[in-house]
Amino acid sequence: MTDSSKDLESEMGGSPPKTMDGSMTTFLGSMWEQITGFFKWHNLRRSLIQVGWAIMSIILALLVASLIMLGTGFNPIVAFSTLIGGALLQPDIIFWWATPLILTGLSVALAFRAGLFNIGAEGQLYMGSMAAAIVGFMAMLPIFVHPLLALLIGAVVGGLWAFVPAILKAYRGAHEVVTTMMMTYIAVPYFTTWLAAGPLRDPTLIQPQPQTPAIWPTAYLPELFGSFYLHFGFIIGILCVIGVWILLKNTVLGYEMRAVGLNEPAAEAAGINPKKMIVISLFLSGCLAGLGGAVEILGYYHRFYAGWSRGLGFDGITVAVLGANSPMGVLLGAIFFGFLRAGAIPMQTVGRVPAEMIDVIQGLVVLFVAAPKIVEWLAKREISWAQWIRKEPMKSLPIFLGSLFALIGSMILLAMAASMFGTLMVLDLIPDLPTLILTDPYMAMHVATLSLAIIFGVIGLYVFYALLRLEKRAIWAFLPLSIVLIILGVVNTLIFGGSLLIPLLVIGILGFVFAIWSYIVVVRQGVIFGGEF
Amino acid sequence: MEVFSIYAIELENIWKVFPGNVQANCDITLRIGEGEVHGLLGENGAGKTTLMNVLYGLLSRTSGTVKIRGKEVNFKSPQDAIRLGIGMVHQHFKLIPIMTVTENVVLGAEPLYANLTANLKYWRPSINPALPTNFRSAEKKILRIAEENGLQIDPYAKIQDLSVGLQQRVELIKILYRDADILILDEPTAVLTPQEVDELFETLETFRKEGKTIILITHKLREPMTICDRITVLRRGELVGTVKRVDTSREQLAEMMVGRPVVFRVAKTPAKPTDTVLSVENLHVQDDRGLPAVRDISFEVKRGEILGLAGVHGNGQDELVEAIWGLRKVHHGEIYIEGERVTKYRPRKMRATGVGYIPQDRQKQGLILDFTTKENLILGGQHEPPFATGPRGFLLNALDITNYSNILVKDFDIRLRDIDEPISTLSGGNQQKVVAARAIGPNPKLLLASHPTRGLDVGATEYIHNVLIRMRDQGVAIFLISADLDEIRNVSDRIAVIFKGELVAIRTPEETDERELGLLMAGEQRAIPSEELTQ
Repeated sequence: MTDSSKDLESEMGGSPPKTMDGSMTTFLGSMWEQITGFFKWHNLRRSLIQVGWAIMSIILALLVASLIMLGTGFNPIVAFSTLIGGALLQPDIIFWWATPLILTGLSVALAFRAGLFNIGAEGQLYMGSMAAAIVGFMAMLPIFVHPLLALLIGAVVGGLWAFVPAILKAYRGAHEVVTTMMMTYIAVPYFTTWLAAGPLRDPTLIQPQPQTPAIWPTAYLPELFGSFYLHFGFIIGILCVIGVWILLKNTVLGYEMRAVGLNEPAAEAAGINPKKMIVISLFLSGCLAGLGGAVEILGYYHRFYAGWSRGLGFDGITVAVLGANSPMGVLLGAIFFGFLRAGAIPMQTVGRVPAEMIDVIQGLVVLFVAAPKIVEWLAKREISWAQWIRKEPMKSLPIFLGSLFALIGSMILLAMAASMFGTLMVLDLIPDLPTLILTDPYMAMHVATLSLAIIFGVIGLYVFYALLRLEKRAIWAFLPLSIVLIILGVVNTLIFGGSLLIPLLVIGILGFVFAIWSYIVVVRQGVIFGGEF
Repeated sequence: MEVFSIYAIELENIWKVFPGNVQANCDITLRIGEGEVHGLLGENGAGKTTLMNVLYGLLSRTSGTVKIRGKEVNFKSPQDAIRLGIGMVHQHFKLIPIMTVTENVVLGAEPLYANLTANLKYWRPSINPALPTNFRSAEKKILRIAEENGLQIDPYAKIQDLSVGLQQRVELIKILYRDADILILDEPTAVLTPQEVDELFETLETFRKEGKTIILITHKLREPMTICDRITVLRRGELVGTVKRVDTSREQLAEMMVGRPVVFRVAKTPAKPTDTVLSVENLHVQDDRGLPAVRDISFEVKRGEILGLAGVHGNGQDELVEAIWGLRKVHHGEIYIEGERVTKYRPRKMRATGVGYIPQDRQKQGLILDFTTKENLILGGQHEPPFATGPRGFLLNALDITNYSNILVKDFDIRLRDIDEPISTLSGGNQQKVVAARAIGPNPKLLLASHPTRGLDVGATEYIHNVLIRMRDQGVAIFLISADLDEIRNVSDRIAVIFKGELVAIRTPEETDERELGLLMAGEQRAIPSEELTQ
């Protein structure tokens, strides 16, 4: 099939494609086309939409996090100001934190693009870091060779750690989520910890610690800008971002990986070998994660500590999702998370807000970013309610969210009723109840609240069930339900000294909003559910 | 049949606009009389299914009026339409395969034992679902309906065990069970053999005699001409016209559908076949479940001829073409391309040997919808020069790819905005042109075309047929598989029929007719098997 010049001329009536000589010129030409292609409107629009989604999710996450902070007694303004200020005052820490996240994010994103879920980046990270540490302390090698060799071996070991799940998936169909996770369990709490605490333990320490000997200084990655934290690994991360971008867009391998990831039957029918692609993709993904571990050891820790990474591999998944699986997005996402982490300590020390709030924010961001994607995935699988959410979000969301809030509200009310009833039982007041109600206003209030809570708890359950069936009477019950939630929240806290004010207030107000919204949607406009999907 | 005293359905100035200013129905006014059989004709995307969905309550209309028997109605859901006696049978059956006929028929209208909640009218919709169902009465009713209408069916059979024709019968029973007297049928003959089509039309005649009103949605021209009283043609969301069957013809209908005169029989000179290109010998192939799908098939395709394989879906033709292309393992037997033994070749090598493949489902196997048109046009050839360059063919040569794509887009008249946009933005016809262009671009010796015009409108179908004839005249051997008998008879130089994995006949179009082919496709008539190999 190489006679390409003759192929198309007469039959197709056009000029045959001329194979340009000089592969470098064609490659540069391709790159130029890619870069200018980025600025074409539809590509730009897609990127802007993705960035917009990410920013919206972040804002929503911050809003919900503020509510949680308020509910638990912290001041969100103080929290955010110390977070942002603290991070900006230490920019080197931002990029230092981002470095391994860039690499693990790229690892997960690359696997995603090939249609694979590499959940085991953490294990590959650990194995890569252990391998780099071993190369680092084993012998002293020349000054450029040593770190390069350590990085290379770290990357390859990370790739090999993903190789077993890759083979299992390609030839046995074993789902990579399970296998990569299991490999992580082997690597992290067992294998590397054992190595660090046993055969490879640093013998020079007085008190035995599960860590390897320090690596030789020739293996160090240089620091950047004189910072104690930020090191050359960041540059490596950026180079990898560019490398993955070139791979995906400009190479045959990247094309074939993307083809298999988007539509495996079509790729297979066109002659691409999906098994080969699966193995290569997971291997490369593991290499990136292993490299992420390697750079941290060589650049900052300078030896392997058991358990040194508190979830960097899993954060890579978050970064990949936030970055919509594109190399640039991963870079930005990693920097964002680096920013959050850099601000966590100042937030805790200066603002007195626990650093765990960062985990909450991170989790919320993932939730808001992932939720629409999950809905879209379900819609493709022909789940009808997911398709409805996709088609008419303005109409379907108040129904589903309202139903959810009604359920939560009714659970809280029933719990409140149960505890109030419990108090009555413990204090042995039940036999005297009728007289007490008439004489003691406090008791009357107690019983009234208790009854209201029970009644509206049950109503809440009905609303939850009936709203999903789009019954109008559910909405007419929803409005009083939300009002009662608010009232009882107030009563509970102000009169009985409970702590349900904020939660019930939030749920009540939001429930009220959803109730009105559902009313407009279902009663006034008329919902057609189960339409043309 | 001239003037109808009562209009069963009146659609006045119906507009349906989807988000993004997609005008699916533009100012359509249509009146259908009581007891009339009305055909709704139009190409894919003309708006006929949308219009009927509006009528049935599946979609809300943007503006306009709907009247049933003179009374204006405002359906909020199909439940309202069903209550007024309107029933719809969809193109893709809404049946649950593992449940029985009875269970499917009563779904949504389950009969209860006694009206236990008769006095709790307000709460009934909430409580009824929890009460036990009276299947006995349902079965009796189903059998009664089956008797009255000549629709024999076994109420206890599971849907997955029924043929497609019988499944459609279940759909009809479903709407009769709900006492429908206005029936809307959406592309009912798409999946039926010619015999099953005849049976369906007999059933529709019975309905007509009972005074039911029937609306038949179709894009095939012969059906309205067979059975409808009047025919309405839609094009691009607008109503082109309503004609009486007696006043019109297939040609006029086609011209109304497309907007220009349409040629039915492709003008082609007789074939001049020369040497054999594809030779299949005693091929045995298994399907995904390990059961034999292709049993001992042998045939040849010569340079410069089109061999068409006719058969109902699911008789082994898909497995056959996948085995030839290399996607499926050959269990037994050999395949030769110009004498070269290619039995074990995978798709990439088949392509290198000079074979092109047009897969049967362009969205699942033909194209990658999220890829751009450019990327789809090189799919299958991306690893070779001129598309691959650099050390060991590692890099993609974007400039040559763009050149090649532009040439193909021009030659195949593919309508699109930008070759760098995802191919999902193209219409079905243009997408299929991309699939064809991709297979034909490298100048193959043999073209495997599997259902190449499935889901395409008359214009696109005509185009693809012309391309196939043109290739044939240039000496390409073409193996065509299709479930559309008209297509096979139009385009092929020789016709083979497959039934349950066996080749039951090979004929020339002159030697046979549609009736015989239909019988062969249904396994009725076994012809003398293929000593006609060396025709």
